Amino acid sequence: MSPDLGKCSRSLLTCEKSNFLNEQSRHEVHVSRHCFNYKISLLLPECEVLPVRVENVIHNFSSYYLVRDLPVYKFLEEKWLATVVKKGSFYALSCKTRIDEDNVCALLPSGQLILSLDKDTYEHLGLEGRPSLYSHKKVMRYVVSVDLTNKSLVPGTKRYQQVLLCLKERVMLRSDFLLTTCHPGADKDGALHNLLSQYTYEECRPTLHSQTLKNLFCPSLHHSDLRGKGLSCTPNQFLEWLGAVNLNISCDNSAVSFLSTYMCPEPRAPVSQSVLCTVTGLIPPKDVCRLLKELRCYFAEPNFAAWVSLTVHGFVDCPVSWGAAEHGFFKGGENLYNFVCFKNQDYWLYKATGSEDACPP
Amino acid sequence: MSVFMDLNIIAIADKAKLQSTIETAAHLGYSTVAINYVVEGQQKKQLIPKPQPVAELFEKFPIVQGKSRPIKVLNRLTVVVTDASHFRLANAYKDFDILAVFPKTEKLFHAACMTYDVDIICIAATEKQPFHCKRSPVNGAIERGVHFEISYTAAIRDSTMKKYTIANAINLMTTCKGKNVIVASGAEAPLEMRGPYDIANLGLVFGLSEGDAKAAVSTNCRSVVLHGETRATALGIIHTMKRPQPPSEQPEEETPAAKKAKTETD
Amino acid sequence: MEEKSASYERVVYKNPSEYHYMKIHLVLENADTSISAEEFKYLIISGLKDLYGEVGAAIPFDVLTFDQTALSAILRVFNSGLVKLWSALTLTGSYANKPCAFRVTQVSPFLLALSGNSREMEV
Repeated sequence: MSPDLGKCSRSLLTCEKSNFLNEQSRHEVHVSRHCFNYKISLLLPECEVLPVRVENVIHNFSSYYLVRDLPVYKFLEEKWLATVVKKGSFYALSCKTRIDEDNVCALLPSGQLILSLDKDTYEHLGLEGRPSLYSHKKVMRYVVSVDLTNKSLVPGTKRYQQVLLCLKERVMLRSDFLLTTCHPGADKDGALHNLLSQYTYEECRPTLHSQTLKNLFCPSLHHSDLRGKGLSCTPNQFLEWLGAVNLNISCDNSAVSFLSTYMCPEPRAPVSQSVLCTVTGLIPPKDVCRLLKELRCYFAEPNFAAWVSLTVHGFVDCPVSWGAAEHGFFKGGENLYNFVCFKNQDYWLYKATGSEDACPP
Repeated sequence: MSVFMDLNIIAIADKAKLQSTIETAAHLGYSTVAINYVVEGQQKKQLIPKPQPVAELFEKFPIVQGKSRPIKVLNRLTVVVTDASHFRLANAYKDFDILAVFPKTEKLFHAACMTYDVDIICIAATEKQPFHCKRSPVNGAIERGVHFEISYTAAIRDSTMKKYTIANAINLMTTCKGKNVIVASGAEAPLEMRGPYDIANLGLVFGLSEGDAKAAVSTNCRSVVLHGETRATALGIIHTMKRPQPPSEQPEEETPAAKKAKTETD
Repeated sequence: MEEKSASYERVVYKNPSEYHYMKIHLVLENADTSISAEEFKYLIISGLKDLYGEVGAAIPFDVLTFDQTALSAILRVFNSGLVKLWSALTLTGSYANKPCAFRVTQVSPFLLALSGNSREMEV
């Protein structure tokens, strides 16, 4: 009666193909709904150094802040609400908190405050929520969602007092936070700095790392063949290969090799040099959009590349993946997406999630 | 799921090594560990060991990997019983946060499941369990909130022990259906510890389902700790506190969920 | 030579990958012990054999990378072999009669996910 040792927990991959110029293309929507991005990885085949324009976009990425021991109720205080939350484009995610063990908190740009809480905290807090979708036999985790932009939640109302009481007196939820406002220059008056000044915080810049890879075999992709019926490799083979390139895995082994039999999928072609560039931090969707736009222009200048790829990794311990869809961590918390952009402005978009996630939109 | 725990780190005399094992536990992501004192076949007059005060262990407790808080250390006593006289009234063991019993015969296993005021019943790892874990005592233990423990260090040390550990575990699972099981190390050295996700996977080999296997290093351990807290006071903790009420008592759209007693151990 | 772009298309795959990937490293009591990629793989195979016999020893897996200084590696294994490979790593306790332990940092059905794990972020 023991469980089948050959089984694995489920994962999902959605693949879609569209064109940037298509009016109905939802590429920006998809990017903007994936709020908490940890890492971006850019692969430009047939390229020697990172193009200056791309580099500039990355250098203009928003800073993010690491704030120590910030109480969650602060987000509800009048000046916070007025200064950052209600203006939108404000992202906050608790850090050093694990979604399968601890209390995790996220503030979405929509003004939604999401609390993913363990059973004890939930029961003491007294704000109504719902059991986590990924509960086992006993419900040990609850998700509370509070819309800070709701009219009933302005200072002075009963509801406001109640929420404040719960977060301030019943359970003083506090944590280290990563946060960012993604309008460049949005913080001209230093309002955010003012708010943060009572706490220990530091301003961080996303870290850029770029390298040139020589003599790489790259899969040949044809924009019309998303599913890999012969003109391209399959979506899964391509993503595996991208992973291999990012992890510096050798792709030219023989089938009889003792250590590894991994090979670059076919059809493929040798590429003398490619640029691999990664950016790590808390990267708001708007910055990803800007980078994507710049990549589309990349083909305007003559070059040999047939395609370029942009991968975006979400935070594994984030309580949401796309939009407000609940995200969890069982043995992994992968939520990532990848754009393959072609010369003719066609694009493929892959979205991958692990076992505690809904199907990506 | 709740935080990860390893409720069985063997109390050894070598303080530096014990510290290093606990540091490893923190590094592997365990938020709580219990130092396990084992006493065997004690006669009535023998003294029950006093646990080392936990605070003396470290000047600064190691920080749990990926978090900002230090590891929590508890004390546990395991009484190995080969004769009914070895187990005393629970009051004798009040110095320990967690109380476990390792029954060596079927009769004692039955008694442990049905009547002993303990938190954990240990399942053999270094020998073939010499009796069956019958359904009625096992169910009795589950109803009383007592948990069964499988420890994996013996399986790491020795090939033959691997077989015993796995066989005993699978035998238990067919009876208890994966309920009230915890998996702990029983480690005496850092290299005998394994990470919580490793154990959640190893649990599948022991016959647990995926969810039960992860619960065996998290949720179920939490239940054991809470069970230990209520046992210590014999009556349970009743925790009341006056709070300023919100300005209005009219029914609101959000009903406070804070009505369950804190002592619930489910 | 602009090619005409195609229309919208969408497809969803459940369990798309036939493999799982593991990021692991080996901890030895004596940190100076040197070990080659081949010896590393043999150690894992003997763990599989110890726990699952000859059939276990035959479970195919790849050592995609091996770093000899950190003793870290990325493994690729068919989904059907993951639980067995992982449990064999867990129960491996000695190398050359000295205690050792495999530490598993990440497991995923997407190799790409191993290159962007926010739990490795240092803040």
